[in-house]
Amino acid sequence: MAARSPGIPAQERLFSLVLALLASEHGLSKSDILSTVQGYRQRYDSSGGNQSLERQFERDKDDLRELGIPIETTEPPGEQGNNQLLRYRIPRGEYELPTELTFTPEEMAVLSLAGTVWREGALSSQSQRALLKLRSLGAHTAQTPISYAPRVSIAEDSFAPLSSALDRKRLAEFRYLKPGRLDAEVRRVAPLALVQHHGRWHLYAHDASADAPRTFLLSRIVGPVRELTTAHTWPLDGAAAAALEGLDRLWERQEAVIVASEGSDARLRLGARAHADDDGTLRVHYTDGELLADELAGYGPDIVVHSPASLVDAVRLRLGRVRALHSAGAGSTQRPGAPAASEQRGDR
Amino acid sequence: MAARAPQGARDKLAFLLALVPYLLDRERADVAEVAEHFSVSEAEVRQAVRLIAVSGVPGETDAYLPGDLFDIDWGAFEDDDEIVITHRVVINEPPRFSSREAAALLAGLQYLSALPSAGGHEVLDSVMTKLSRSASAEPSQLAVQSAGDADRILATVAAAVDAGLSVEFDYRTARGTSERRVVDPLRVDSVDSDWYLRAWDRRREAVRTFRVDRMSAVTQGSQAISTRPGDVAVPDALFSPSDQDTCVTVLVDVQILPFLGEYVDSVPDEVPAAGRVEIGLRLAHPDVVSRIAARFAGLMEVVDPVELRDEVRSWAQSALDAYETVPPSSDRAD
Repeated sequence: MAARSPGIPAQERLFSLVLALLASEHGLSKSDILSTVQGYRQRYDSSGGNQSLERQFERDKDDLRELGIPIETTEPPGEQGNNQLLRYRIPRGEYELPTELTFTPEEMAVLSLAGTVWREGALSSQSQRALLKLRSLGAHTAQTPISYAPRVSIAEDSFAPLSSALDRKRLAEFRYLKPGRLDAEVRRVAPLALVQHHGRWHLYAHDASADAPRTFLLSRIVGPVRELTTAHTWPLDGAAAAALEGLDRLWERQEAVIVASEGSDARLRLGARAHADDDGTLRVHYTDGELLADELAGYGPDIVVHSPASLVDAVRLRLGRVRALHSAGAGSTQRPGAPAASEQRGDR
Repeated sequence: MAARAPQGARDKLAFLLALVPYLLDRERADVAEVAEHFSVSEAEVRQAVRLIAVSGVPGETDAYLPGDLFDIDWGAFEDDDEIVITHRVVINEPPRFSSREAAALLAGLQYLSALPSAGGHEVLDSVMTKLSRSASAEPSQLAVQSAGDADRILATVAAAVDAGLSVEFDYRTARGTSERRVVDPLRVDSVDSDWYLRAWDRRREAVRTFRVDRMSAVTQGSQAISTRPGDVAVPDALFSPSDQDTCVTVLVDVQILPFLGEYVDSVPDEVPAAGRVEIGLRLAHPDVVSRIAARFAGLMEVVDPVELRDEVRSWAQSALDAYETVPPSSDRAD
């Protein structure tokens, strides 16, 4: 094909790069790529001064890696340390989906549904791309009797930067407001997993100052999350499962005793997830007393919390605040964002 | 100019790399059929095919000679909208999942494990194992707990739909009234741990949204389903505004704004980064405002209407009164 004008679309350059790197058995040097591959060669200057094209190549490599395309670099023997002689290739075995991989129509249906769970942000585009690859296998998707529109929301701004630090294995720093404290304190952590438990996002991380794993509620992170350039070497393997197990254990251990009036909305909704004694007393498990207190305060006069005492106090404190804030002429004196002043253990 | 390829280019590349193996496998494919299979437009398919047909490797001569390029049956493509790859280069199989792609789907699957349609744990386990093995790197550590709780009720709903029958249940509204409803299920929605049934209410002859945790005594009905998905539009928003809604003006701390979701009716053009802001809420019933005010105690103040402000205060007072009669707890040491 005759050389074209330099206006070659990015996807054509990226596609040509993948083809060239996959085809090469022994790898291509950077100058091979820049001078011959479609989309680069049109802008290549054989007399030198290709810095901007080299930067383009670096960014394109990042894009390929983002798509899960492995790029292998090798140094020719005896020439270590010379960047210009590095050879690049895409190893076919690590690039291709295993040929034996197949999915039944039922499995495809479940996977397609799983891909719709994320509606916004990076997770949404990542699951859409995963679905593209799956559809490439050509399997049919079974129809379900009723359609589902499931959704996991991510309202916390801290999710995206933490997810990035998690993937790059870098330390992150943020201000964290412990319940019962007035001021947020700076935490420096190695993020190990992001988990949603009972509808709440948690970060499981190795905390530098405590030198131990800690679980943080994303909704208690105040202000921006800073990703540090420092990489960490804490193992991530099984971290998400460990985080969920820890939260489950906590949930199992903590029980609130609540009496809800007969026929009330509270009785119905709490009852759906509680154990009810013979006399109708509800026993509700929970992970975070402060969050449960927020929810329970919302049921107002429909319930009375009997124990634990810390939860009773936390609910009464909230109701007292609502009363004070809505008394005549209050409002203006209320300090916004003042956190609950009840006691709470640990980092949750 | 060394701008990072726009996200669109990356997605288009992902599509090209998925499309080639699919076409090779099919040998002959319809543009319309391919578009449907990948949920993209026919124009996007044609654009991708045109690009594939002129792409390839530099080859031994570094000149992109015809033998180094893909080729298609141009006649079939131009005349019949059919795609036949007549010469292939390099690509055989689709790419593996990136660690983040695999993680996104795996976490989605975990979340769905409570759904009756998920085909049971065998299907889920098998899918999860296959996914983990076909990523180019270890999937990222991302997990979502199963949405739980609603599975029994949803199983009844799914079974009824499968049998072509309506569903009956007692429903308690936010207004506190309770009555038996007969509905034709249209769709099941969820947001995190909350589940909703979108259905055609046969008595009201309208689409209604029901919170699953407010449904009880759910049974398969005796009447055949008459309104099916496709007969009526189900809005994406869970709560559709109604004339009977109560509009309330409140002062809220900006930090709780993301958590008020669909209650929010109006927000000023400029929202400060910190501090309080006056916003409008739209509620199905005035009582709901007390609940929200208590859920975000101290961070939300009802401004208008004034009577509602008084009601919130007395609501909180009567809730507090109940504690005056409770004997002091014995487990103070907790």
